[in-house]
Amino acid sequence: MSDTAKPAVLSLHNVVSGYNELTVLKGVSFDVAAGELVTVVGPNGHGKSTLLKTISGLVPLKGGSISIDGQPTLTKPHAVAALGVAHVPQGDMLFPEMSVLENLLMGAYLAPGKAEIDRRLEEVYALLPKLADRRNQVASSLSGGERRMVGIGRGLMMAGRILLIDEPSLGLAPLIIEQIYGVISELSRSGRTILLVEENPARVADLADRLHLLDDGEIVWSGPPADLLARDELLATYLGG
Amino acid sequence: MLDILMSVLVAGLTTGALYALATVGLSLVWGSMGMLNMAHAAMLTLGGYAAFTATTTLGLPVFAGFAAAILFGAMAGGLLYVLIVRNLLKNDKATFESNVMIATVGIGIALENTILLTYGGQPLKQPLSVDGILKLGPLNLPYQNIVIILVVVVMMAVIALLLGKTRMGRAIRATAQNRDAAQLMGVAVNRVYFQVLVLSGSLAGICGVMVSSMTQLSPPLGNDPMLKAFIMCVVAGLGNLPGAVAAAFGLALLEAFIQYVAGARWGFPSLLFVVIAVLIWRPSGLFGRTQIRRM
Repeated sequence: MSDTAKPAVLSLHNVVSGYNELTVLKGVSFDVAAGELVTVVGPNGHGKSTLLKTISGLVPLKGGSISIDGQPTLTKPHAVAALGVAHVPQGDMLFPEMSVLENLLMGAYLAPGKAEIDRRLEEVYALLPKLADRRNQVASSLSGGERRMVGIGRGLMMAGRILLIDEPSLGLAPLIIEQIYGVISELSRSGRTILLVEENPARVADLADRLHLLDDGEIVWSGPPADLLARDELLATYLGG
Repeated sequence: MLDILMSVLVAGLTTGALYALATVGLSLVWGSMGMLNMAHAAMLTLGGYAAFTATTTLGLPVFAGFAAAILFGAMAGGLLYVLIVRNLLKNDKATFESNVMIATVGIGIALENTILLTYGGQPLKQPLSVDGILKLGPLNLPYQNIVIILVVVVMMAVIALLLGKTRMGRAIRATAQNRDAAQLMGVAVNRVYFQVLVLSGSLAGICGVMVSSMTQLSPPLGNDPMLKAFIMCVVAGLGNLPGAVAAAFGLALLEAFIQYVAGARWGFPSLLFVVIAVLIWRPSGLFGRTQIRRM
């Protein structure tokens, strides 16, 4: 069932997942509708990254179901990518010995032809012009902010139905965080469907359509960002004030 | 004096070319899969015997001999993936490296003994060899050495183009650098592993033809090149392809000059000395990067 009137691009129903014997997600359910920016907030180590990894197939599903446009996702990450899930993981996970251009081209690995790849590349360079300047630079020599930009650019090159972004502000200077969120805001305004994971709800207050508060692998609160920020007791209990 | 030095140089370059071919196959598999293929030596031998069978037993032309070596090497690599590696990958990833090493030791022994039972232990002459010497002033260049160097240069160029310029090559490099990220981009890593083992098997097959054209065909043919290739890989840094090629030529030249100056028996010990020194002073290899692994 969709949380909104628009059709759901991503649906999670009672999702249970984890690593070997350890269960991290304990029955997570929510939808992300087309063009929405939904954010999952919560304390560190309570399953936010595991949630995105479960959607993209990196962490196996132990129970429940995940579907993209009503189609159940498969267990292999490459098959999930083919369904249109573009995951920008925490810590970038770039290909360190490849150039910026090669990293971006890897994003378009499943693209149907050269013309389409060139079109996507132009779009990414228009949104992130610094990547065009750095196109021949090896990824391992980039700064943290530049690496994050390449990670987002590579995700955009996938031209997926939904973009999963994992803690884009992690470990970056405030000025760079502002730039990164500027890009995410522009993507959202252009109609992209985005599921964002973030530790600090204040950072996404003006961006997100809805927030889900994840604690110990369960959604404990859902609603508009302004409502959560007005609930001091929730902030104090789950996010340390 | 100059002609002797040139002869030593040519011998070193030829050996270096053979080592490079053996090393690249081994390094490619390690770099992209974290798999030390101990059956690489037997795959190399298989290629040599496949060429022998095609040209001598079946009477096919030289070209078909090369094709048979490539085909049988590729098939051995493909079967190794389908029957063994794929199943080991389904188990705990943490134990894959040791499990696959032990499994391929067994496969190598089985393959070598199958060749022994089929062809016998007597050394055989590899028909894919070129007799004659090219005289350039005081310098005598055996045609076989020229052929080996040319074949290896062509093969290296093909591998470089494949890895650098093609979609398949980019997927192989991506998988080697970050397997999870490659999967997120839509790369089917199991298909990449299959391709890598087929490619490595093809290279082993050609290498088997080249090595046996310099020596003779015998069931343990691949063991010496494999041991040397392993040394080159460690000196270069496991998984570093350009480094492996550089190490192969550098160490082969060193071996050739030490054999000339101090005698043939000092060639191999000198390589062992280099590898021990590298392991002490630069454990990740001359061209390798230090890896930090979360336990």
